Amino acid sequence: MTQVARPKPRRLDAFELASEPGNERLALDRVAECVQGLGLPDGRLEKLKTAVAEATMNAIEHGNKNRAEIPVEVEVTQNGDEIVVAISDQGGDSDASSDAAEEPDLLKKLDGGQSPRGWGLFLIRNMVDAMDITTNGQRHTIWLTMRTGGAEHGEHV
Amino acid sequence: MASMCEATTRVLPGAAVIELSGEVDGSAADVLTNAYQAVAQGAGVDLGTVVLDFSAVDYINSTGIALIVSVLARARAERRKVVACGLSPHYREIFDITRLSDFIELFPDLDHAVSQLTGPAA
Repeated sequence: MTQVARPKPRRLDAFELASEPGNERLALDRVAECVQGLGLPDGRLEKLKTAVAEATMNAIEHGNKNRAEIPVEVEVTQNGDEIVVAISDQGGDSDASSDAAEEPDLLKKLDGGQSPRGWGLFLIRNMVDAMDITTNGQRHTIWLTMRTGGAEHGEHV
Repeated sequence: MASMCEATTRVLPGAAVIELSGEVDGSAADVLTNAYQAVAQGAGVDLGTVVLDFSAVDYINSTGIALIVSVLARARAERRKVVACGLSPHYREIFDITRLSDFIELFPDLDHAVSQLTGPAA
């Protein structure tokens, strides 16, 4: 039997950001720069950027409570045809206080039955091929996976 | 955080245009609210439609989506229609995913939106 060796995961970048509103733009710009040339079509790159921005915003606001001195950590890895972005904060199991609790319903929002906010995790789930959340003590990480060769399902090309 | 969003307003017969530029995020709350207030006051009860022009917008996040929801909710309560134009394909898709496009008619650009609202030029 022939075994095909799977390439080892390759770390493309790792960096920290101060937990200050607006710093999600720094994260998305840096992730976009480091995945350049990996074959991610433009439409899927835009989706990854939105997912990274939203996950970083959640980490800043809900995880680290906007405390600038607690950094958000971002790591970008290539694993075969997958790009994995891990975004970590120190919020522990903070999803209860983020927008994870209730699926956004636009009609309810328009009628005042839901807050107009609460789109973050909904957008992330719809932008990437997989989203996973792990918690290890206070360390809370959201893992965003995007395949470079993935189908552009339902997407303009 | 200083807003990276700017708004220019223009009142047309029966409609008003809010041209947005920059970033539609949480810092844009006052800009968007004040722009809506300005066109609502400027046009008064004759204002039937508000056009949100996103041609010069390069970033919209979930908080920006929430602001757009708030403007739409207010417009609906005041029996006004909201349409949008100039969205990139990516943000059009986000309007579809969030179902905003069920309530906000989308046009490719301002000319299409205005000609649809005011009819062909004489």
